[in-house]
Amino acid sequence: MGMRNYVRRRLPVLGILLLASGSFAADVQMTIEPQIISLLDRAVLKVEFINTSGKALDLPQVDGLKLQYRGQSSETRMVNFKRTMKVVHTYLVTPSKVGDFSIGPVTAQFNGGTKELSVKLRVIKPKDDKEAQAISELLYSEISSDREAPHVHEPFGLTLKVFIRDTLQVDGSFAIRGGMPENGLDGDLQWDVVNHTREELNGSIFKVYTLKSTAKTLTSGTFTFQPQVQMNIVIPRQNRRSYGFDDPFFGDYFGRQETRPIVLDCNRLEVQVRAIPMIGRPESFTGGVGIFGFNVEVGPAEVKAGEPITVKMSVVGRGNLSQITPPQIEESHNYKLYDARIVASDNPNEVCFEQVLIPKSGSVSNIPAISFSYFNTTTTDFRTISQGPFPVHVAAMPQQMAQVIAPMPSTIQQETEILGWDIVYLKSAPKYWKNESDQLWHQKPLIRLFLALPLLLLIGVAGQTTRRNRMANNVALARRQKAPKAARKHIQQARQAIQKHNEGAFYEALWNALAGYFGHRLNLAPGEVSLPVVVGTFPEMRKDLETLFHTIEQRRYGIQSESDPTKAALKGLLKKLTKTLKACERIRV
Amino acid sequence: MRLFLSMLSGLALCIGSVQAQQEQFLQAQTAYDHGRYAEAALQYETLIEQGTANPEVHYNLANAYFKDRDLPKAVWHYRKAWYEMPRDPDLKANLHFALNAAGALDPTPSFANRILSTLSQSEWIITATSGYLLLLILLLLLPIKAARRMVLKLCLLPLGILTLSGLGWLQWNQLKANPEYVVVQAEATALFGPIAGSTAHFKMPIGALVRQRSNNGKGWIKVEYDHKQGWLKREYIALVSP
Repeated sequence: MGMRNYVRRRLPVLGILLLASGSFAADVQMTIEPQIISLLDRAVLKVEFINTSGKALDLPQVDGLKLQYRGQSSETRMVNFKRTMKVVHTYLVTPSKVGDFSIGPVTAQFNGGTKELSVKLRVIKPKDDKEAQAISELLYSEISSDREAPHVHEPFGLTLKVFIRDTLQVDGSFAIRGGMPENGLDGDLQWDVVNHTREELNGSIFKVYTLKSTAKTLTSGTFTFQPQVQMNIVIPRQNRRSYGFDDPFFGDYFGRQETRPIVLDCNRLEVQVRAIPMIGRPESFTGGVGIFGFNVEVGPAEVKAGEPITVKMSVVGRGNLSQITPPQIEESHNYKLYDARIVASDNPNEVCFEQVLIPKSGSVSNIPAISFSYFNTTTTDFRTISQGPFPVHVAAMPQQMAQVIAPMPSTIQQETEILGWDIVYLKSAPKYWKNESDQLWHQKPLIRLFLALPLLLLIGVAGQTTRRNRMANNVALARRQKAPKAARKHIQQARQAIQKHNEGAFYEALWNALAGYFGHRLNLAPGEVSLPVVVGTFPEMRKDLETLFHTIEQRRYGIQSESDPTKAALKGLLKKLTKTLKACERIRV
Repeated sequence: MRLFLSMLSGLALCIGSVQAQQEQFLQAQTAYDHGRYAEAALQYETLIEQGTANPEVHYNLANAYFKDRDLPKAVWHYRKAWYEMPRDPDLKANLHFALNAAGALDPTPSFANRILSTLSQSEWIITATSGYLLLLILLLLLPIKAARRMVLKLCLLPLGILTLSGLGWLQWNQLKANPEYVVVQAEATALFGPIAGSTAHFKMPIGALVRQRSNNGKGWIKVEYDHKQGWLKREYIALVSP
């Protein structure tokens, strides 16, 4: 018996010792699975720290392979009382070309020392395409520009072609992630798929998607375009494996295929953008860069002095229309010129301006010629288009009629004012000196309080009036408000009756308190207050109410208890009544 | 007794300070009258540095700068004074004259802005307070049944005053979001984009008053001048309004 107890007590200790003895052999291993894959497949590389712990290894770059760290996991196994603990770091290996690759050697450090690790991987041609040596031969993109050296603000077209080997299946969606100039572009590029064809290139058939965009720059210089086109290829499931729900390439888990995003190789396009020259820039240049036409309409041609004439100017063509400012009309004493405004146009290649001028007298015989200058990107020089002058007939204003009185344009004022004018003399010393540190009058707390007081008063008056009106219109509510007061009055009388040893008056006062309180509270006529009515409204107070009603009624009608109540008993009854009424007061009806 | 003495000493200090301000103001005026404009400007600047906030000081300082041929500073101080006394005809004339002398255009506010600029922000607050008090008085009369209809009609007047005052206050408050600047460096050229090397859009003379329309937070400010908007480096301009 004693031996059995000894063994039973020592058995767990022995087990722990056995387990501990099995966890001594620390090691680290690197494996890759599978070791042979096709170009479109992937492999999983694992670094396992056995019976020890270790950090993820910084694997060296391998040309033709992309290594992505996927995370850490740990596992513990128990076989024949031997415990094995593992910390596993997983990497995803994605090939971009065929060939034999060696990953490593890389040095792993762990508690048991250091170890050199390396694995080998063979990437073979895809089953469907025996020609392809690299992913970039299966999928790639090319970008080109329709202008070699555009000017600043000059729109130039960009064409992006995406080539996909016909044997590959894609889901047809594109995303362009980065690879565009970070500064200097006027807005973001919007790409549109304009074409989708099949072409034969080097003996292979490709699906070709053509995307187009228009770029404009704000500055001159070299702009580099190398867009990173990302698209999803669809790979049949039997050709590859899945690595769980956290696999970024995890696709159609329950289906037979999954999508895999791939960033396509693209050529590097450098566009030299030329600045608009300052030399030879005409006065009438208003920022136009491109190729434009200019048209002006003036109407009506016959007006009276003081009546408006509208000048409609339109610039049509290809270029930076949105950045063109209105052409200038020469200012004159003879007419008042209002600001030009942009008018909406149905034609996206047109910008329209309208400017109103009002002749001040009949001496106006024409509207001077209007010039529009722009930088021609084809001929690389400034071009000026002039329209007018536009003859108008302005009838003189009869005497005593109202005239257009408006301040003259400042440039004209300058010519006239500088002669003999001067600024107005100094101001005399102020009556009151203000300091920066002085608090403004409206920021003073006393003033704010003073301003708030009438508002509070008004709110008070409004509240009081509303309450009065409610009381006048709602008898039940008014009586409800009076209930506690009515009870208090009779409770006071009951107290006085106790002092005078007048038992009859005491019970009468108690009854009056009950009848007064519940009569007002429940809006009942004096004779309607009864136990069933009150208990029906306050069922949770049934017990107390029954005691009170019965006791008081019995004493009022002369039914005496077995012994005469003492002063303390009367006080107790009064206290009970007060407590019950207070409890009823708290109950919402 | 101690309180009385401390009040007395406070009053004496206050009177002394006012006298010092008065004397400096007169000295500056004397210097101006004798054609020593730089000295006059220095005296007025000292007054401002000491915390004097009267618009008259800014006006006189602007005059001194104008006479000393420092147009950007003259325009700056005229505009600063204008925020406090927007109806002053002398100030308007001098600002206009200074801008013309600089070859710059007068700001052209809209009709509504012109109307709302007739009172300063402080004056709009006084107007709003008056409207508020009038409204409260009228509301207090509402319980008088006989006058109720008339009182309700009369309430429209203070409500109108309050609305107008609110708009006026907002108009001045806009200066915080879109402040005004004076061009203080020559060759100030607004560009089409907020980037060095961007195409030149328009030029502004030194002393021109421009209004901020946006700010890219990287030292470039989109300014409006002569109904045109363009990007300008911050160092070309000095902030006038808060």
